[in-house]
Order: sequence, then structure tokens, then C-alpha cells
Amino acid sequence: MDIDLDDAALARQIGSGSEREAEAELVRRMAPRIRLYGLRHLRDQYAADDLTQQVLITTLEALRAGRLRKPEKLASFVLGTCRMTVLDLRRNAQRKERLLDQFGADLLVPVQPSLPRLDHEELTRCVQKLKERERSVVVMTFYDEQTGADVATFLGVSEANVRVIRHRAIHQLRDCMGVAA
Amino acid sequence: MSCSGPIAATVLADYWIAALAKPEEAAIEEHLFTCDECGARLRDMIALAEGVHQLARQGSLSMVVSDAFLKRAAEEGLRVREYAPPPGGSVECTVTAEDDFLIGRLAANLSGAKRIDLCLCDQRGVEQIRLPDIPFNPEGDGVVFQQSITYAKAAPSETMILRLVKVDETSGERLLGEYTFNHTRTLPGPGAW
Repeated sequence: MDIDLDDAALARQIGSGSEREAEAELVRRMAPRIRLYGLRHLRDQYAADDLTQQVLITTLEALRAGRLRKPEKLASFVLGTCRMTVLDLRRNAQRKERLLDQFGADLLVPVQPSLPRLDHEELTRCVQKLKERERSVVVMTFYDEQTGADVATFLGVSEANVRVIRHRAIHQLRDCMGVAA
Repeated sequence: MSCSGPIAATVLADYWIAALAKPEEAAIEEHLFTCDECGARLRDMIALAEGVHQLARQGSLSMVVSDAFLKRAAEEGLRVREYAPPPGGSVECTVTAEDDFLIGRLAANLSGAKRIDLCLCDQRGVEQIRLPDIPFNPEGDGVVFQQSITYAKAAPSETMILRLVKVDETSGERLLGEYTFNHTRTLPGPGAW
């Protein structure tokens, strides 16, 4: 099939009930986006995989049943379903933990793509090259998971200043690692 | 398809750490659900953040850290070895194979300081490395320094002197405190870098 179909055409094809390849294309297109959303909000790759499966199932069911009234809003529908599903997952977090304990994470099929791999030695060199305050800010941000306000208190500077330091450090790390702008 | 309005890497970083206002976060998410190019850039940013996380978790960075950092390490079940020599004093210290972090607590009166440098000196007191303009809280009671655990585990028995120096553009440098760490190697084998 033509994979250059826009979202609206894709949604219509799935709604017609005769296009299996359209469903495969929907999964290929939306799964990485849903997983990123899941990583951001659930901070766990297995939970993100779980979210991806649930949202895709919900979306396909809605499309097959013709419940998406505005096919051109497919991406917004999927995003909205992500938001609702994350709320449900949080409510059912305890139940999910019990199921994972019982069955293990193998039941959850990982969805690609995974994160790019970094050269660890190169990253070490780049982090050590940062100025002391910049290094502290990125470590406090990405390891301690401190808020801007907490980092500001530690450094005795304003939150706005912390943001400037963080952004400068990220720029330098990306440049040092050769990540495209 | 090329993105006509790529999201800046720093904004993606702010999105990842939940530092954006809700309306801005919602707008970013709307964009990410229609733009795989920015999605790939977000993946790069997450990889960088995860890489820094792993690096910090390994204890291999030499840097000033916060108590929140040590709290996080303890929550992750990591083993933190701490020494706190008094200003002008010394402490006998070592590191074992089970240790994940090596910490020196350097007590000092930091009030009024605009800039503080941390000098790492050999046993004769000769400065070997200087960490300029370290982060500190002027209202705090000192600095928490993490020595690289990788370095410490490889080191032979040696003495290291740390100095906290207050730097002022007009009046120059003033010593805030000197701390001597007498490290005895207890790991098997000779120390070597």
C-alpha cells in the first residue's frame, strides 16, 4: 500500500474494514510516538510498552467501529487516548505491579525503536569537560531528578539562572558528543 | 518529511524533565504526535539524560554533589563511604570493593563568598588539580566533594590534601579550609593508574 497516506486517509482506510496493511501502517507510525509519550510520563520502558499496546488497541477498535468522526484528527485522538490511558494506568498501578510480579515483564512485547546508544567513554570525557556548576546542574537534573527550584537553592542562584546553566550545559554536551543540532 | 519548526534541544530537555508549563507541554506533545523528526531528537535527548544518569550512578565523576544526590544514591541501594575531616585536620581513609561512592565532607564558613575553588593537592601540598568556581550555597556549612570511585579503587596508598579557597577579584585568594585524607589501599594488588 501507499505508506505516504496522510493520517486522515489512513484512518478512512482502516474504517472501511478491508485494509490490513493500513492497520500495520498505523502501528508503524504511531507506536514510536506513543512509546515516547509513555517514557516521558511513566518513566519506565515496560510501562511505556504496555501503554503503547493499550493505546493502539483502543485506537484500532475506534477506527474499525467508525467512532473517529474527524479522521484528520487521528494524531490528536491518539494523544488524547494516551492521556486517558496514563490516568487509568496510574489508578491501576498497584494491580499492574501485582501482574508483573506474577507473570514477569516478558509478556509485554517491546516496541521499537529503542533509544540511540551513546559512547560511554566519550560521554564521560564530555561531562568532565563541563564547568563545575554546569556538571552539577546536569547531574542534579538527570540523576537526582531535582526541580529547578531545588537546584537553585543548592547553588544559591535564581531558577532562571539554573535554566540558563542547564541549557548551556546541554548545548555543550551535544556539541561534544557530535549530536546534530 | 522535514519538520518546518523543529523544537530546540533545550526545550525537549525541559519537556523530558517536566520543567515546562502545562500549555507549552501540551503544545510540544501535539507536535510530537505529528513529527517523527522531533521525536528522534527527543530520543537523542533522552539517551543523553540516561547516559548522564548512568555516569553519575557509577560514582566515577569527580565533582561537588548535593545531599539530595547522596539521598538518591542511598535510595538506589548504592553504598556511600563518607569522611569528614575537620578544617585543618586529617582523616585515615580507605575504599573497599563494595563501595559505590566516595565522599569527603569539607566543613567551612562560606558566607560572603562569591566564588570558591577546590584545589586537589599532593602530600607536599602542591596543587595538582583545581576545580574553579564550584557550586556552593553561601548559607551552607560546607561542600560535599565526590572523588571518583574508579580513581580511588585504582589508587595506591597516598595522601591527598583538599583546599577550599575563596576567590575575590580585588582581594585575591583566601584559604577557607584544608583537609588531609590519608588513604590506605586495602584492595588486593598494587595501586596503579
